[in-house]
Amino acid sequence: MTSLALVSGRAPLLRANRVLPLFLSVVIALLVAAPLVKILLATLTPDGLQAWTTVLASPLSANLWWRPLSTTMLLGLGVAAGCLLLGGFLAWLVTLTDLPGRGLVATLSTLPFMIPSFAGALAWGTLFRNERLGGSPGVFQANGFDVPDWLAWGLAPTMIVLIAHYFSLAYTIIAAALSSVGADLIEAGQMAGARRGRIFFGIVLPVVTPALVAAASLTFAGAVANFAAPALLGLPVRMQTLSTRLFGMIETGETERGFVLALLLIAVSAALLFCSDRLVAGRKAFTTVTGKGGRIKRFPLGAWRWPLFAVALIIGLATSVLPVLVLAASSLAPQGGVLFSNWTLHFWIGEGGGALAQGQAGLFRNPMIVEALWNTLKLGLTVALTTMLLGLALAYTIVRNKGTWLATVLSQLAFLPLLVPSIAFAAAYIALFGAPIGPLPSLYGTFALLVLAATAHNLPYAVQSGRSVLGQISNDIEESARLTGAGLLTRLVFIIFPLTIRGLLAGAILVFVKMVRDLSLVVLLFTATSPVLSMVAYRYASEGFMQFANAITLVILVICLAASLAAHLIQTRVQKWKQ
Amino acid sequence: MAPASIGPAQDAIRISQLVKRFGDVAAVKDVNISVPRGAFLVLVGPSGCGKSTLLRMLAGLEAPSAGEIAFVGRTVSSGTGGVIADAGARDAGLVFQSYALWPHMTVAGNIAWPLKVARWSKADRNARVDEVLSLLGISALRDRYPAEISGGQQQRVAIARTIAPKPSILLFDEPLSNLDAKLRIEMRSELMRIHRATGATSVYVTHDQVEAMTMASHVAVLNHGRVEQFGAPIDLLRRPTTTFVASFLGTPPANLLPVTRVQDRFAFADVALAPAAFAAGHERVQLLYRAQDVAVGRVDDGHQLVGRFAEAAPIAGQSMVTVMVGDLRLTGMAEGFFTATPGDEVGLSFSSTPDAAFTMDGERIDP
Repeated sequence: MTSLALVSGRAPLLRANRVLPLFLSVVIALLVAAPLVKILLATLTPDGLQAWTTVLASPLSANLWWRPLSTTMLLGLGVAAGCLLLGGFLAWLVTLTDLPGRGLVATLSTLPFMIPSFAGALAWGTLFRNERLGGSPGVFQANGFDVPDWLAWGLAPTMIVLIAHYFSLAYTIIAAALSSVGADLIEAGQMAGARRGRIFFGIVLPVVTPALVAAASLTFAGAVANFAAPALLGLPVRMQTLSTRLFGMIETGETERGFVLALLLIAVSAALLFCSDRLVAGRKAFTTVTGKGGRIKRFPLGAWRWPLFAVALIIGLATSVLPVLVLAASSLAPQGGVLFSNWTLHFWIGEGGGALAQGQAGLFRNPMIVEALWNTLKLGLTVALTTMLLGLALAYTIVRNKGTWLATVLSQLAFLPLLVPSIAFAAAYIALFGAPIGPLPSLYGTFALLVLAATAHNLPYAVQSGRSVLGQISNDIEESARLTGAGLLTRLVFIIFPLTIRGLLAGAILVFVKMVRDLSLVVLLFTATSPVLSMVAYRYASEGFMQFANAITLVILVICLAASLAAHLIQTRVQKWKQ
Repeated sequence: MAPASIGPAQDAIRISQLVKRFGDVAAVKDVNISVPRGAFLVLVGPSGCGKSTLLRMLAGLEAPSAGEIAFVGRTVSSGTGGVIADAGARDAGLVFQSYALWPHMTVAGNIAWPLKVARWSKADRNARVDEVLSLLGISALRDRYPAEISGGQQQRVAIARTIAPKPSILLFDEPLSNLDAKLRIEMRSELMRIHRATGATSVYVTHDQVEAMTMASHVAVLNHGRVEQFGAPIDLLRRPTTTFVASFLGTPPANLLPVTRVQDRFAFADVALAPAAFAAGHERVQLLYRAQDVAVGRVDDGHQLVGRFAEAAPIAGQSMVTVMVGDLRLTGMAEGFFTATPGDEVGLSFSSTPDAAFTMDGERIDP
């Protein structure tokens, strides 16, 4: 409220104007800078320096660093390439061709990003598990297909699952860029006598290159930082990525080595994002210059229309609907390999002590899981609230003090977490808050620590949406309301609130969804005593209780989808004029 | 007077019975236009009249539903054959309203690309790029990107890019509509200079009748997909064949008065205006009076209407005075600067013979 009130003042309250930036600087220093500084310092102690040597230059370093590094890079490259191909192909079909059912394909292509990557990994396991590790086999194995190890475990399935998750990010970025390629640009090429291929490679591709670079680097960074998929599909066969290695080190008490790995992971990810940013910034920003904007040139696909539609549909269904169906069926089937017979609700509401699931009760009768559900919701809501408040205040301060060193420092710090993979960020929080600081008790394993870490890690998104929210209130709009004689309260209620509510809610819901389905941040910061759903699902999966893991994942999915749907409804309800 | 043409085969552009339908809606209906080489044809009309669709068919970006387009005797599009010669293969260049500059290429790159596609040698390309850059006066912008230059400069780059391959037909889609008023007048003469310098035949689409009147050698006034009138600009002004043309062209707009015959005179609201012989055999007609034939205030033998003053605009030492008579906006001329308060009673005197008479449907009646 303070910040909104300030927006309206032509001569802002002087005192608040100084206090707020100061306060925010302290908060952000504590939330973002301090943990990162602390984790660095923690590796500069004698023990820490020893850990650097062990990780980078010792007989152990092949296992601790080089092999995980090469696996991680391979995974990142594969995922980025796959996402570019898949996302780019679908984006091209939807935006630049006369494909039938474009709306459906577009929707299906954006869905997979809503589904957490561990849902995909679990669904993959349900289908492709083989007997190598014992436990109940997957659907294909149970039905007589011999699933080879490389398809059941390790790099290939991890890569596929991550591509299936991240390609929709690439799709969104590339589709937005492609739809900015106006028909005029293409027709100008036609007038020059260029054929289709020439126009594609000479005009369309170069214009969207910055988007391609952005999509590649973001999916690469996503894959590098991902914990769930390599943990579920790789760890059982001892495939290690940097993030699973880092997790393992901290879990086994080799904290310093974990910190070293966290710093290295940050370095890898930040270097990559930094380079790609340079690459794009080095080129001219291709803002298309248009007058009669918006018209899109669609290439006729001719005889390929329906076959390509089928391909697009299959990709969409296999990456969004199929995993959900598999998870749902599996949570009802007593035998892992036989998805569609002997269905039982035992895993959802069954009483304990029976023959199924080693006597464990169903989901909703297990107090630990019910508590995890509440914990999850509480975490999502709290973090959404704290992040949006902090983000809005930061965005306001940055916008108002534009050009000053204060604004620069604040915005750099606020966007810093973007470069830090969440599991490494969690490690940094352990470094800072894992031990008592002076009179303050150790926060390790508490709800408060998770809220702090999550708030900090979501700040970049919150500041971004805070900025766009503030962008909705131009000075003209505000001043025209003032000229009618409307007081501050009236303006808040009738002008500022209606204009900002959509952005605020959308931002909050995004943060909520990110938290509910997050695993890599919580996996290090939560203890068994007060778990969240994603943690519980991960633990069940590692113990082989696939039905429970799948059922819990389904609950997470339902919560995320409901929240997204709510966001969509609010968006269309509250601001009808936007259509 | 029909536009001069040497013969069908020599016409640079011949459009015959051209029709374009989008679903059930006909955007262009039965258009017939021919212009000789070097002509500057302006297609003018209100928005949605089909002029841009017509231009896109000339460019080869749309196929006609029926009829035919021929460039210098060669059929390039037809209703039966679709786009026979591709957009790139009909020796025509199009300047887009949005300029459509490729944002990832420099100014020089934008101009050179079509030449590259047409397989010009590198030396020829460079020479031609220099040539058109200096023709348009933008040599200094050579290495800039489109996003870095102003709207007027982008416009020049778009024109340079279009004329670089030396097309024999130049097409312009409302090229000046995104420029401010001063720049627009400047570019107007610039465009005519380029038209003369290239010797190409130009087709120019606009909704601005002033552009049409100042630039064209031939004007086609379009309305609802039809050509209302086609001819030299001066002929269209002198002898409009429909009320649409009469009211669309000319500054200030001509006055059209619906009148009824009372005995041997046509009268508007009981004021006798013109002799009935002017449009013999008609009971109700519309009379056309030019603003310069309508005097403000009482003239001795004038036929006077009284209305309420709406606005006055000074023009070259005179004043263009607009008066509301009922719902009708009428414009007359007054000497010097005319001032009045809106709502004041003002008399308008009409000369004894109107400029023309039209039926109530808008067709010209020749006496």
